Parts: sequence; C-alpha cells; structure tokens
Amino acid sequence: MRLGYYARLFAVQARASLTTAMQYRADFLVQGLTSLYWLGWNLVPLLVLYDDRATVAGWSFGAALVVMAHFVIVRGILEGAINPSLGAVVEQIRSGAFDYTLLRPADAQFLVSTARFAPWRALDVLGGVGLLIYAFVRLGHAPSPAQLGAGLVLLGAGLAVMYGLWIMIVATAFWVVRMDNLIYLLSSVFDAARWPASVFRGVWKVVFTFVIPLALMTTFPARALLGTVTWQAGIGCLVGALLVSIVARLVWRLALRSYTSASS
Amino acid sequence: MTIEVAGLSKHFRVHRRPPGLAAAVRSLWRRRYDTVKAVDDVSFTIARGERVGFLGPNGAGKTTTMKVLSGLLHPTAGAVRVEGHQPFRREPDFLRRITLVMGQKQQLLWDLPPSETYALNRAVFGVDPAQARQTIAELTELLGLAGLTDKPTRQLSLGERMKCELAAALLHRPTTLFLDEPTIGLDVAMQVTIRDFIRDYNQRHDATVLLTSHYMDDVVALCPRVIVIDGGRLIHDGDLRALVKTMLPDKLVSFTGGVPAEEVARLGEVVKAEGGRTTVRVPEARLREVVSHVLDRAGADLAVEDPPLEDVMRKLFKDKRAAAPAAPPAEPPP
Ligand SMILES: Nc1ncnc2c1ncn2[C@@H]1O[C@H](COP(=O)(O)OP(=O)(O)OP(=O)(O)O)[C@@H](O)[C@H]1O
Ligand SMILES: [Mg+2]
Repeated sequence: MRLGYYARLFAVQARASLTTAMQYRADFLVQGLTSLYWLGWNLVPLLVLYDDRATVAGWSFGAALVVMAHFVIVRGILEGAINPSLGAVVEQIRSGAFDYTLLRPADAQFLVSTARFAPWRALDVLGGVGLLIYAFVRLGHAPSPAQLGAGLVLLGAGLAVMYGLWIMIVATAFWVVRMDNLIYLLSSVFDAARWPASVFRGVWKVVFTFVIPLALMTTFPARALLGTVTWQAGIGCLVGALLVSIVARLVWRLALRSYTSASS
Repeated sequence: MTIEVAGLSKHFRVHRRPPGLAAAVRSLWRRRYDTVKAVDDVSFTIARGERVGFLGPNGAGKTTTMKVLSGLLHPTAGAVRVEGHQPFRREPDFLRRITLVMGQKQQLLWDLPPSETYALNRAVFGVDPAQARQTIAELTELLGLAGLTDKPTRQLSLGERMKCELAAALLHRPTTLFLDEPTIGLDVAMQVTIRDFIRDYNQRHDATVLLTSHYMDDVVALCPRVIVIDGGRLIHDGDLRALVKTMLPDKLVSFTGGVPAEEVARLGEVVKAEGGRTTVRVPEARLREVVSHVLDRAGADLAVEDPPLEDVMRKLFKDKRAAAPAAPPAEPPP
C-alpha cells in the first residue's frame, strides 16, 4: 500500500521532469551531444597511456576501460538523478516553496529527492554500458553471473553512499539558507542572493563529481565485475553504505526540526 | 472548535550584527543574540465554518501564527489544536484537512502547466481520480480557470497564477483554509473574483477560513469577525461591525451638489470635497437629521458609509500603543 503510493508519486514526479525536459528539446540534443563528446575525451588519456604498453600498475587496457565505464555510468546517474534535485531543493528552501513540500502528507525527503531529474543523462549511462560491453569484448571474457551480481550490489551501495552524502549536504542547506535569512533580516552588506548556491556548485560539485565517485563507486564495482574484489572489502562497502544511509536520515530529521523551529 | 490556540508564543533567536566592519568581524566569534517575540501569548478559538480576518501591521506576527497553525513552525510555548491535531506533528490526516496559501510564495511548478501540479497534488494527497475530476471541474467553473491550466505557469499573469495556486491548494478539499495575503498584487476585479470564490468555498464545504490581507476591502467583504495583533500580541478579537462602531462611531455621508456651502459646514466635518462630491463626517446621533436635510436639497444621489477600516485600524493601534507603553525590549542574552 505505502509502496504503491510512493511508486505513484515517483511516477508523477518523473513524468513532470520528463515533460520539462521535452520543453527544452534543444537542450536535450546539446546535452546529449556534449556528454558523448566528453565520453570520447575521457578515453583519450587511457589511449595515450596504453599506446605503447600492455599494463599500467597491473591494470590491463580492458580492465582500465571497465573502471572508466563505471565512472561514466556513475557520473550519468549523479548528474541525472541526484545533482538536479540538490539544485531544486536549495532553490526551494531559498524561495520558500519548500514550505509547500512540508505541507504535503508524504515523506519530505522522498519528495525532495525525486523532485527533478535530467533525463538526457540517461545517454551517459547508456554510453557507459556500451563502453563496459566493449571493455569485456576486449578482455575476451564475460563476467560470471555472480560477478555481475556483486558488481550491481556494490554499485548500488556506492550510489547509496552518494545519496546519503547528498542528503547531508541538503541538510546543511537548511542552516546556510537560514543564516542568510538572518543576514537579510539584519540588512547586512552581503548580497544574500549570491553565495550559498554557488558554494554548492563550486566546491561540492568537484568533490561529488570526481573525488568520491572515483574512489568509492567506480573501483569497487569494477573490481567486482573483474572478480578481483575481496569478500571483506565488499562487505565493508555494504556496511559503510548502510551506516551512511542511517546517519543521513538522522541528519535530515535534525535539520528539518531546526527548519521548523526557525524558518521564515 | 476547529482551531484552538491557547497562550501561543513563537520566539526567534536572531544573531545581532552590530554596524561597522570591525564589529562585524568581532561578532564572528562573539555572537550576540536577540530574541524576537514574533508571537507573544496569543489565544483564540475559531469554530467550524467561520470566516475570520487576521489583521495587523507589517511584522505583527500574522504569517508566523499561520505557519504555526499549519505545522510549519514549532511553537515556542502554548497549546495549539487544529482539526483535532497538534499541527507541528504534521500527521498526514492533519495535512489532508488543511491548506495554507501564501500570496508571496508559489507551489506551482514554474516550467510546467498548473495541471501537472494538480496531478502531483492528487497523487500526494491520495485524492481518487473521480473526485479530483469533479473538484477540478468545480474549481474551473468558480475561478474561471478554463484555458489556463494547460499553459506553462511562467506564461500566466499574476492574477491567473493566483487563481491556479488557489485551485492547487484546494484540490484535496481541505476544511480549514489559512490564506496569507491571497490577493496581494491583484487588481480590484481579480480581488473581487478571489473574494467571491473564498466565500463560496466556505459555504459549500462549511470550511473554516483564516485570512490575512492588507486590503481592508477583502476583510470587510469576507470576514464578520476579526482578530487583530500588533507586535505579536492580541489586541482585539470580535465582531467587525462592533469594532468599527466603538472605534469610529461617526458615519460618512457623501452627496453631489445641491447644498449651499455655508450649510455643508454645519452638517459635519468635511472630509473630502472633490469633483462636486462632498463627504462629511457625522456622529451617528445626528445621522437621521443630516440625511433628511441633504435629501431635501440634493435629491437622490446620497450615500452613507462606515468610515474606512484603514482608519479604524490606525486608531486601534494608536490607542493600544498609548495604553500599553512599549513592551519591554528583547531579553538580554543568557
Ligand atoms: N525566521 C525568522 N527569524 C527571525 N525573525 C523572524 C523570522 N520570521 C519572522 N521573524 C520576525 O517575526 C516578526 C513577525 O513576522 P511575520 O512574518 O509573522 O509578520 P506579519 O504579520 O506576517 O507581517 P507582514 O504583514 O509584513 O507579512 C517580524 O518582526 C519578523 O522580522
Ligand atoms: Mg506576513
């Protein structure tokens, strides 16, 4: 029952995002082409690196491609499903529309997390999958069903970690935005309309797009597919993902409580 | 009682930033806090189906009170019950019974037609499709939404958007309506449309309405009862007509031509004289006499009105502030 309810909500929100995206079809095309272009560029360093040798630090060209493919997939999901909602919720808090989210009888974290998608990023994901397939063709063998399963589970765990961190960042937005409310109230010299959004776009974008995905989300699932991940590391990933998810939920609730005690 | 508020207070703690760069830098590590008493010990009850005007000058605490009543803010002190629930728990059953419309903030998705927001709200509030269709048909008729709900929100005019906002807020047929300046920025005709709609909704669904507006015409037209706050404190709660009568018992009599200038002065204090139309202020006791005098001379073109509510409010705030000299300033930081 609850599951059905949230599935319906998800469908409605996803459809709204898709409709919005369709209104900007030119964007759709441009974004799609740009991502393919970047996909190509991502390959250049690899090609240069492997131009005259068979392995680098023990990684063959095919294995490195597997990692690269994961990177592309993860980035597609990140920029398609997670970052847009981050932007949307910070904007909501800023404009006060978040109040309307809180007036809806559904979990606010769910509503916020599914508020906006960038559907054309699915192209990145498809490109990544294509690359993955090509990599295994190069390697000359396919992953076993068990390896495939482990890879998917670890990818899921990595995404859960990303999402948890993302929720915590949004939670900090409650405080940052509130702070800039105060600045506004006290008519200080700061131009309140400017900085928090750019803070999120600047530093966090770098951290989120490159550092964490590379380390956490790309290597482990890739190694699972290649069959070189240890049981201990795999379980460590799962436990880590669970912990981050729990902490994220707690931080979210704390932030919400602080919002409802002093929003304006 | 649909709304019960007893001893409600909402205080905000704000960081005080002293003027000057040096002081601002110092305040980075030595923060001083002020307490803003946005709402201070306010009590009232509202029965099912009432339409109540909630008045007060800017910063009086109206929006803050509405947010507490709709569960967006935790009260600092006091007991609040709305539709039998404690709002701050934000229980789904509570949220399905109320709505909050803020004239200054919008819930409609900007890039999409309002119908998409309706679809979202229908799913969120779990309204079954048949009922939703019926409600939308009803709202479309009452608000004149035909042709609007399929255009992207960003292409709608302010007034059109407000009508669509109201529809989005009422799709789940709430029985308690918190309307915070729903007519802000609208032209007079649109204000009248919204007003009529609110009255109609209130009567059809026996809905309770708490309305704030800085346009006194809204309040006069809609609200038999007003609650007035100033500086977070309740200063009046009761019948609107009785308030007008006690505050400014005089009537305004206006007429065109016919009465010689020297007689006009004897009728009462002249408030306005422009375009050949004269308005005089007349104590209620002399009203009959003045009206018959003017009718003898000027004929039919005569109007008797209550003094504008704006004047009533101004006098009310002045009297109350004079009676209760400034509330003690913010508490010293702990
Ligand atoms: N989040 C907040 N933090 C600090 N102070 C706040 C906050 N929200 C409101 N206030 C203060 O509380 C007081 C009441 O504000 P409120 O918005 O309730 O007034 P209002 O009656 O709605 O005014 P208006 O008619 O201008 O809308 C004001 O002094 C305001 O500055
Ligand atoms: Mg207000």
